Amino acid sequence: MSFEYIKIGKEEKEFISKIEDISGQNLYACYQCGKCTAGCSFSNQMDLTVNQVIHRLQLGQKEKVLSAKSPWVCASCLTCTVRCPRDIDVAAIMESVREYILRYEPERIERMKVTGEKAKNLPNIALVGSFRKNTEL
Amino acid sequence: MKYSYFPGCNLKTNAKEYEHTAVEVSKILDAELVEMPVFNCCGTVHSMASDNTMRRIAPVRILSRSEEHQKELEDTNNTVVTLCSMCSSTLKVVNEEVKEDEEMLQKINWQLERDNLKYSGHSEVKHYLEILRDEVGFEEIVKKVKKQLKGMKVASYYGCMLLHPDKAKIDDSETPTVMETLTLALGAEVVDWPYFKTCCGSYHVVDKEDIVNNQILKITEGAKKRGANAIITACPLCAYNLDSQQVFLQKKGIIKETIPIFYFTQLMAIALGIKLENFEDHHVDPKPLLKSLGLI
Ligand code: SF4
Ligand code: SF4
Repeated sequence: MSFEYIKIGKEEKEFISKIEDISGQNLYACYQCGKCTAGCSFSNQMDLTVNQVIHRLQLGQKEKVLSAKSPWVCASCLTCTVRCPRDIDVAAIMESVREYILRYEPERIERMKVTGEKAKNLPNIALVGSFRKNTEL
Repeated sequence: MKYSYFPGCNLKTNAKEYEHTAVEVSKILDAELVEMPVFNCCGTVHSMASDNTMRRIAPVRILSRSEEHQKELEDTNNTVVTLCSMCSSTLKVVNEEVKEDEEMLQKINWQLERDNLKYSGHSEVKHYLEILRDEVGFEEIVKKVKKQLKGMKVASYYGCMLLHPDKAKIDDSETPTVMETLTLALGAEVVDWPYFKTCCGSYHVVDKEDIVNNQILKITEGAKKRGANAIITACPLCAYNLDSQQVFLQKKGIIKETIPIFYFTQLMAIALGIKLENFEDHHVDPKPLLKSLGLI
């Protein structure tokens, strides 16, 4: 069994309120029922499940959240949002983590590298959607 | 009746048949889609960041342009109609947002001023499926059917954006029926299946194809297992992912059989007696199925 000290100091609180500002959601409304994770089609590909992301956010654990793959695996399908029993816009919280990162590091996908046959055939909405989610441009 | 129709980008590129069949069908049903003379991309995905006004400008610009268009049309109402479900969801969400938040609407209208545009906040956004259900009515469609789609076993794939979020849903988000009822109206068989709104992976096809392939495998195998011989959709991105990635999975030897993907309007066109000739948007060839059922 391992233990971890949890510190909620100034830095943690600032992170929490930034995420709440961007998402417009109250992180503490979440009571960790796990319904969001249960309904997410991509849970099996996430390193932190959706409710775990929210839990880490509640604790202000910035490093853990910012290094997680999960927000980038999320496809913004919004199933979690329509199902949350606490009426939290869960997908907006996932988006706020992406946004937080993109505001410092604006290109998560190198647009110029999407080339070749495949890029030619891709639907516009795939490209626009991907660039909107993976860049701050 | 005429509607101000916003095509979005994809209906002009790799979903041309979706647009063509929808427009033809709309004439027969006297619920005609008339294209807006000027339009721009809606941005595909709505921003969920509460503080990002910039990404809400494009959808409002479309709404304001549609209002101009509505003034020119005779026999219309305050509706802008879409076919792409991503456009539908994005426009609906932003429309509701600016209706609720006057300050945001004002800010966006300032941005539109230089184009002499202004959105009043009085338009409604509807997906064409809603028009078919609520304004044309399925009884009317049944009356216009010339060729029953006997032998077609159709799995309706809603994907996410027709049903999510609440501001944008066109039907009950957990048990929708609009596409199934339409299927019955056309004389085809409805396949009951659990993957009707399992996300296809969406824009991840650009850089995380594995994620998409996983989903496509689940969805298409799920449809075949329940006896479907066709999947219908309303979204050019769902259609592309379902269609192109099946071919990919088949080449890799992961699946043997493929299942053709149609836009709901293509099936309507066949049933209403419009001759379908162009299948170039398809990756899985739908002709063998349609020929075997005597539908083309
Ligand atoms: S469904 Fe809502 S309340 Fe339940 S864990 Fe997820 S975010 Fe929290
Ligand atoms: S919006 Fe993202 S986190 Fe929520 S269910 Fe869909 S993929 Fe999962």
